[in-house]
Amino acid sequence: MKPWESRSLALWLTVVPMSVPVALAHDPVFGLGPHTLYKGGVEIHFGSHQEKAGDERATESEIQFKYGLTSDWVAGIGVPYVRSTGHRGSDSGRGPTSLSTKYRFWRNDLPGAQESSAVVARMILDDGDMGHGQAEREGNDYLLGLTYGYEGRKWYRWASLRRRFNGDAENGAARPDKWLADLVVGIRPIPTEYLEPDWVWMLELNYEHTEHITGAFNGSPQRIGGDQWFLSPGLMWTYRNFAVKAGVQLPVYDDLSGDQEADDYRALVELEWHL
Amino acid sequence: MAFIGVSIMRRLLVVVLLTLTMPVLAAEIRYELRVDGLACPYCAYGIEKKIKALDGVDKESIQIQLNEGVVVFEADNLISEGRLKRLINDAGFTLRGLKTSSATSGNAAHGR
Repeated sequence: MKPWESRSLALWLTVVPMSVPVALAHDPVFGLGPHTLYKGGVEIHFGSHQEKAGDERATESEIQFKYGLTSDWVAGIGVPYVRSTGHRGSDSGRGPTSLSTKYRFWRNDLPGAQESSAVVARMILDDGDMGHGQAEREGNDYLLGLTYGYEGRKWYRWASLRRRFNGDAENGAARPDKWLADLVVGIRPIPTEYLEPDWVWMLELNYEHTEHITGAFNGSPQRIGGDQWFLSPGLMWTYRNFAVKAGVQLPVYDDLSGDQEADDYRALVELEWHL
Repeated sequence: MAFIGVSIMRRLLVVVLLTLTMPVLAAEIRYELRVDGLACPYCAYGIEKKIKALDGVDKESIQIQLNEGVVVFEADNLISEGRLKRLINDAGFTLRGLKTSSATSGNAAHGR
């Protein structure tokens, strides 16, 4: 496998699974949180995610719409636009549409604090022109997640576990499934009141495990998959019904098979309105 | 003639009394809601939006006090506790207590 091919492979393994955030504001930037919308609420969400591994770079910008079916159940649809550059030149186009839902099955409201748990499901459709990596997919991809969160006036904490089930490639080659686990702490330095600009700073520890598979790439068998750990500082800024989130995922450890190149960084910026 | 004069005086008196009592009848009620789960300003927007959608609410009177866990607003009609409980739950929080009082006098009319 040529170096640029291994980088492309690494990018394909990582960008696509991270491409569509399910989180709402006051959820972690890269991890998953249990926040939902109020009943009848509409969310318009713009997000841009960039990932770099060696000379390969991919940027995905997405617009999402979400609707609060109840105060504990939200459903949404997202359509991304993807641009990638690397040794093979640049390419761009519409990415796969995703349908997502989150159900908060447990909520404990306390004075000035809320803790809750939710399940998340997402279906990444087999459509669009980009975002499938090196191989076209055969069928949809699916993601299931479980999350817990505590939100106080000063401190935040979250934990989440996700598994992405990837469909096979169109040529019959297997695409590895993925596990993601996150631990996050956050702090609001100043306990602001309503109608005041509000800051929350976060630090995430993100773990990703890509299942090991052996596939034929460029005519020769290659073993891919492995583990990656990231440390991710991030922040949330909100004012009334408008929110901005941003963060950087910095790799701290990786154990990847073969020639796969670990990520240099991943960055995410999101804008969100509640209507 | 004297009878007609008395009759007019009585009617005038009734009109004056009704005019004087109208502000009392139309007085706004102040609602003070103790809400659990209020942690962040962004999430509280759902409460503001749902209260604004209620009939008779003075939209300018809505105050969400996060550090006290209290939501205050005024309305010119009576809103039941059950309805407020549903409203707060639909916004994603829990109503723990309710106090109502006259917006002008500030005297508690109901509380728990």
